[in-house]
Amino acid sequence: MKNFQFFPPRLSAVISNSLVILSPVKVSAAFILTGIFPILSFAQTPTLSNLTVSAVLDGYYQSEDRLMTERVKGFGLGETELAFSASIDDMFFGKLTTVFESHDGESEVNVEEAFIQTMALPNGFTLRAGRFLSDIGYLNNQHLHTDAFTSRPSAYRAFLGGHYFDDGLRVSYIAPTDLYWTMGAEAFAGDSLRAEDETGEREFDSTGVYTAFTKIGGDIGIESSWQIGASYLRNENGQLSPEDHDEEGGEDTHAHSASYTGKNTLVADFVYKWAPNGNYKYQHLTLSAEYFRVSDFMLPELHDAHAEEEHENEESNTKDYHQAWYVSGVYQFSPHWSAGLRYGKLDSQLQHDAHFDQQTLKETELSIAWHNSHFSTVRVEFSHQSNVGFESVENDNVITLQYVMAMGAHNAHQF
Amino acid sequence: MRINFKYLLSSTLLIISQSAFAQMNIFTCEPEYAALAKELAPDARIYSATTAMQDPHQVQARPSLIAKMRQADLVICAGADLEVGWLPMLQMKAANARVRSTDKGLFFAADHVKTLDQMNNVDRSMGDVHSAGNPHVHFSPQHVLDIAKALTSKLIQLDVNQRDSYQQRFTNFSERWQLAMAQWQIKASRLQGMKVIAYHSSFRYLFDFVIIEQVADLEPKPGLPPTSSHLASLLKQAKKDDISAIIVASYQDRRGADWLAEKSNLPVVVLPLSVGGNEQSTDLFSLYDSVLDLLSQAYILQK
Repeated sequence: MKNFQFFPPRLSAVISNSLVILSPVKVSAAFILTGIFPILSFAQTPTLSNLTVSAVLDGYYQSEDRLMTERVKGFGLGETELAFSASIDDMFFGKLTTVFESHDGESEVNVEEAFIQTMALPNGFTLRAGRFLSDIGYLNNQHLHTDAFTSRPSAYRAFLGGHYFDDGLRVSYIAPTDLYWTMGAEAFAGDSLRAEDETGEREFDSTGVYTAFTKIGGDIGIESSWQIGASYLRNENGQLSPEDHDEEGGEDTHAHSASYTGKNTLVADFVYKWAPNGNYKYQHLTLSAEYFRVSDFMLPELHDAHAEEEHENEESNTKDYHQAWYVSGVYQFSPHWSAGLRYGKLDSQLQHDAHFDQQTLKETELSIAWHNSHFSTVRVEFSHQSNVGFESVENDNVITLQYVMAMGAHNAHQF
Repeated sequence: MRINFKYLLSSTLLIISQSAFAQMNIFTCEPEYAALAKELAPDARIYSATTAMQDPHQVQARPSLIAKMRQADLVICAGADLEVGWLPMLQMKAANARVRSTDKGLFFAADHVKTLDQMNNVDRSMGDVHSAGNPHVHFSPQHVLDIAKALTSKLIQLDVNQRDSYQQRFTNFSERWQLAMAQWQIKASRLQGMKVIAYHSSFRYLFDFVIIEQVADLEPKPGLPPTSSHLASLLKQAKKDDISAIIVASYQDRRGADWLAEKSNLPVVVLPLSVGGNEQSTDLFSLYDSVLDLLSQAYILQK
């Protein structure tokens, strides 16, 4: 909540009230949406500016709390979003995505995307500015409602706050080759990836995050496609300061910001898709995997203390990096049904005074989804999480029911 | 000797670079437009994003397509929102300003003909329908001719140096096409009044040209796969009406059609949606020949 609140709470209440005049008290995100719906008629009769309007409704019921997720136990709204996009002129494209979420009866209105992008730079260059999803990793630039699972893998939840979007600038380049090859660099404010600051006295760099990424991809015959990527994220504000006593991981069940931070993050990702005859209509398979490694999470003076203790206590198995990975397979076996299986593991180090304890979280998820059409999905997910070291949550089975439905403009079939 | 070698090398490089420069890169969304481009610009490097075995609605903006579009001088698609799920994403990722607007290197076939079944009021409860009309326009022979003409103008606009060559190609194509049209008309006249059950409105223009009546659709609603209750209702209809065949396109799932065929004793005819949809269909001419032959066979057998 603390990082991505677009409107200050008071202002957002005013805006909500102006949309739904009849409910002056607390307005749920769902009501705000109904107030905006008349605008959706644009989707069918494009105006001169060809404004594209789309809304995605996402609601869920979750039987238990899960570590580091935005979704809490019980009923709630997931990423219910309203998006507008259009070419601004021959040079610029713009997009605004507003997200409505509810947690424990509280509604939030956040801006997830508000960016402009160049459309006419020569030689494969593109500039994007504003607030947007970072292009590191495989999943991060995809919207949550396109996922085959109800929540992001623990790697994303631990290191990126679910999915990393921020205010900044990106330059990207795509090579004029038959083999797909793109590369880019980004600079962000990085508020949501800052290390915990309990005293509130720490000085942070206002431009805290820099990334570099590259992706290569292609086809194998007509039926298979692949992509591999490598990304690096440098976080100037990611290191713990000595006065910190606890990281927030495991304690907070509703967090937008990263639970574990460090100076350097490396990401490797791989995705492979297959469809019979290359025809995605009836059946297709997606295999993907990502690996994250976050290092240099201690300031040098802290590191020394740590090393000393390490020396005294030979049995300690703590490492000086966090890591997490997942593998996922999703098979759409008919136009109406798909099933996904995902396994992920997170190893993180939790600070206690001057020493660190290793924590491990393993998650296995099975999701089954029913798609009435291209635009509607109802999903049930069984998730088993087993952990060592996390304090607040026991080893648990979680059942989640979810719907994701799109209205208005056609959603894009991103790879 | 040294001078000769240098001269040889530099002249080879010059030829390679010149031919690479002169060769136009054409990206087409569907194979029918790759075939048309080949008629009008046979020297171009032509790439089709889909095959006749793939549903052109449901394509992923995969890396290879982005890479191909990055290099394209001309992008040819059906339009009328057929590619709305993936073309904008490709354009965004390919960062190629040359093919972003129809003023420049982007060409939508449906922009140059009058589409059938345009609707003023469309909502999603009707299924995945296109308000801009049916986009599968390549089975209207007259439309193909009109599109070829418009595409010739586009090619000339992009590559004015070869104006005469494109014009010549078009004249040549147009003559052969009109000759073929006359023959197709004869074949079509023998099929008039044929009634079929078909899958989706993939062959809307073909049925319009031949005057075949599609009495029912295997899809309960456009874009939705056949359901058992819908198939059961089709079976009743199949027994009542004087239906000759169940038609599916080369990329469509046969299961619903096979079930219906078994219960109703109707033949299933798999028609190539486009060039490459069966062995016979190697270009636009043979595609039409093959489709009309397959329909004739089914119609004669039924009689």
